[in-house]
Amino acid sequence: MDRAEKVWLGVLLSVALLANALTLSPLVPWQRWLLWSRPIPAKSYTIEVEGYQFRLPAQGIEVQAGEFVEFVVTSHDVTYGFGVFRPDGTMVFQMQVLPGYQNRIVWRFDEPGWYHIRSTEYSGPKHSSMWVPDAIHVLPAQEVAR
Amino acid sequence: MSAAVAVIPEKPAPLGWQEKWTLRYAVMGLLFLALSGFEGILMRTQLLAPGALHGMEEILNHLRPGNPSTEELYYAMLTAHPVVGIYGFAYMCVMGAFYFLVPFLLKRPIRHPRLMVANFWLQAIGVMICWSAGFFGLFNSLYTLYWPLPVSYDRVPLAGSIAFVTGAAVIMVNILLFSYNIFSTVLSKSNPNRYRIGQFLRAAFGISRLMKWLGKEDREAPNLDYNGLPVFIVAVARGSIDTVINAVVLLTAGALILVYGLAALFRNPLNPLAIDPLVYKNWFWWGLDMVADGNVLMYTAGTWYLLIPLLVNRRLYGEAVVRTVIMVDLLVSMGVWSHHLLGDRAQPLAMRLLSGQFITWGEFITMGLTIFASLMTIWLARPVRFTPALRCILGSIFGFIMGGTAGLIQANVGLNLVLHNTQWVVALHAHTLLLTGLGMLLFAVIYTLVPMLTQREIRSGWLVQAHFWLWMIGSVTMAYGLGAAGTRGMLRRTLYLDGSYGPFLAVGWVGAVMVGLGFLAFLVNIVGTLGWHNLLSLVVPEPGPQERPLPAEA
Repeated sequence: MDRAEKVWLGVLLSVALLANALTLSPLVPWQRWLLWSRPIPAKSYTIEVEGYQFRLPAQGIEVQAGEFVEFVVTSHDVTYGFGVFRPDGTMVFQMQVLPGYQNRIVWRFDEPGWYHIRSTEYSGPKHSSMWVPDAIHVLPAQEVAR
Repeated sequence: MSAAVAVIPEKPAPLGWQEKWTLRYAVMGLLFLALSGFEGILMRTQLLAPGALHGMEEILNHLRPGNPSTEELYYAMLTAHPVVGIYGFAYMCVMGAFYFLVPFLLKRPIRHPRLMVANFWLQAIGVMICWSAGFFGLFNSLYTLYWPLPVSYDRVPLAGSIAFVTGAAVIMVNILLFSYNIFSTVLSKSNPNRYRIGQFLRAAFGISRLMKWLGKEDREAPNLDYNGLPVFIVAVARGSIDTVINAVVLLTAGALILVYGLAALFRNPLNPLAIDPLVYKNWFWWGLDMVADGNVLMYTAGTWYLLIPLLVNRRLYGEAVVRTVIMVDLLVSMGVWSHHLLGDRAQPLAMRLLSGQFITWGEFITMGLTIFASLMTIWLARPVRFTPALRCILGSIFGFIMGGTAGLIQANVGLNLVLHNTQWVVALHAHTLLLTGLGMLLFAVIYTLVPMLTQREIRSGWLVQAHFWLWMIGSVTMAYGLGAAGTRGMLRRTLYLDGSYGPFLAVGWVGAVMVGLGFLAFLVNIVGTLGWHNLLSLVVPEPGPQERPLPAEA
């Protein structure tokens, strides 16, 4: 290995180390609780999926900005996706929903508002219709204090 | 070899057996690219203007059973599209090129020449069965075949499912036959001590090198550079290990789907949830990723290592290092699959971190060294002549850098949470690697091999320029347009019927059309170079391989 190759290998290794350290660090907001602090959620909502339908809790999903909430999603037939989207269509987070598993994720919403749920995994020709508008209501944090 | 490129006689000799079959592979591969590309443009059109294809759908529905919905047709096309693109276009071209180059470089005929003919037909038939399963049978489970969707017959037609896995089985068995032929040609290389398969595998995975490092030299092992084989052959041989694993794993998945299909056909359905979907998904992606993150990287590296020194007339820079890099690539490919399961919270975190993220960065190191060696070879050979092939190689390096970087961003435990299954993944990563990276590489091979095979120069420099720039700008435009939509939440594998993300899709559509126009320029140029006489001679059968067993004689 000549000097130029050694220098280049050093550059590659440094970039790899730096990129991994940065993206696993708490600088990525959700890594703080998904990787590091592992908080106990204030609420837990169970959502079932079957026949292209999300079955949400009867009382609806209402959380407060800043609190940790757990979603437990189970499928009774095929693999789906559980994606939460902002009103402007951008994605907040998503996970795969494997049948026969309790698929769990803990999240903390920072912005109040209404959030949509959409299946993020193809589950058959009617998959595109798996969209539930205004499924999650996030209340402002100050309303909690009041 | 350089002489074969440079010396172009005034009156070319008629094509020989080997040359004809190599060209047949290339032509069939390009036909599949045209089909896959046409489907791609149709799907882009459907996303941009939902309902725009209703007229065409109605006409084509006369050829299909029932009255399928737009969604059924879209997802059936989405299922067939990658199979035609990867196993039709890419594999066909790779097979044709390797069947020419491996015996050429080894100076030894292909071990089983008739298998070359069988491989051609089996690959074409297998791909067309899969395509037909979508077009006629409306099989719509997508290439991912996530369990238990392919056996959920309320969503996926039973006949289509059986037809698709039958076609896939033909393709996989054919790939195993191809790999056997390549291995047996490489292993039968004349040397004082022939390789045994165990020795070959030990050397391929670096076991013999490790033993030597530990002070326990394996005296039975062949020497560490495959007895001085050209580095391209080393890459082909090591990459083909991934090819074999991929074919075996996909065969097992196909067999499982077939068993369920036949049981349902004979009215004795099996319980789909008897198979653990997470275990299946791990097994499936371990095998499938042997292509995406395995053989394609090694085959690509090998082809750069072969063509660049040839085109710039300089020895490959850092050859000793790149031989090791190919071995490391093989090792990395064994453990890299979990980045496809980063969205699965049921997958253990340790697996997501280790196999999903950290080992994926191993590819950054190996591809980084590969690209460094390739670019240094060109740099040190200055001044170089930018032939069509060299131009395309630089385009392919650009594609691998861009698509690879996007891949590293999404193969991240944290960032995948907002990128998984978005258009980012398929546009900026997959299509950039396939269209800009692999596509340009295969064009470089064709621009190199056509003059070698036909003893004719590429006819129009202007069309080469048009092809190169339309393809490059088009593929990058498409990737950025759709990738930007992905960062705004647009999902892949989802047909939006409300016209969402219109401006981004319009940019992507323009890029796709530019790619199509670039391909047309390439096709016109290649047809003009080959000439109608040569093209028509490809459909005329000839006696057999005995006439010209060794392509070097050409």
